[in-house]
Amino acid sequence: MAKVTREMVEKAGLNVDEIIELLVKNAGAELTTYYYYTILRANLIGLQGEGIKEIAETARIEDRNHFEAIVPRIYELGGKLPEDMKDFHDVSACPPAALPEDPTDVMAILKVLVEAERCAVRGYTHLCNITAGKDHRTYDLALSILNEEIEHESWFSEFLGEGPSGHFLRRGETSPFVSKFLK
Amino acid sequence: MEELTKEELQKYDGKEGRKAYVACNGNIYDVTDSFLWKNGKHQVIHHAGEDLTGELREAPHDIDFLKKFPVMGRLKK
Repeated sequence: MAKVTREMVEKAGLNVDEIIELLVKNAGAELTTYYYYTILRANLIGLQGEGIKEIAETARIEDRNHFEAIVPRIYELGGKLPEDMKDFHDVSACPPAALPEDPTDVMAILKVLVEAERCAVRGYTHLCNITAGKDHRTYDLALSILNEEIEHESWFSEFLGEGPSGHFLRRGETSPFVSKFLK
Repeated sequence: MEELTKEELQKYDGKEGRKAYVACNGNIYDVTDSFLWKNGKHQVIHHAGEDLTGELREAPHDIDFLKKFPVMGRLKK
């Protein structure tokens, strides 16, 4: 634990244990989403599915990056990950992005993907709102992840025909906002 | 439709197998089966058994989100 780090957050008036719990729940959401997206990606096949596979893969890899970026902050603040992986899954901040009943229904897969991203956008907005001006490092982390989750939502939303997203598939490195936490 | 006081609502805190009810704008919603309300807590800081009308105004989602849950009654003024 980084003692002074924790002390600074406490002195700013935040309940550090609540921040840790939120970080653990979001880390759980990222890792489980990475797992469920692996299944969704595998099922994105055929003329419709293949066009979405690459973007789903980028979102999958970036969600894993988010997990990697969140974990150090949990320990810095004096928290830890649940020892049992099943517990970790069950405390996830978002519901499982489960494969739809009809795995050949690409639109149904897209809806699962966009809902997962929307849950993440809400969750990190919540974390930003709580930590703004008080816990600068958690805020910076949550904001960086939020920037990427918003892009993920935009990509899938566009495929669903909800209107122009204003974003394009990434070229080059993944996680342009979160990568600074991964070095 | 059942009417509950704030004190009666507090019994539905979602803990130890109890039902999880939350109130908003006078309606009481049953969120027991929601993944996002496990153990009567939502996003760590929101608790079942309470009137969340004020908190919902600052939430990163619309009040409409609650409307997909069954209405169990009204909150007594």
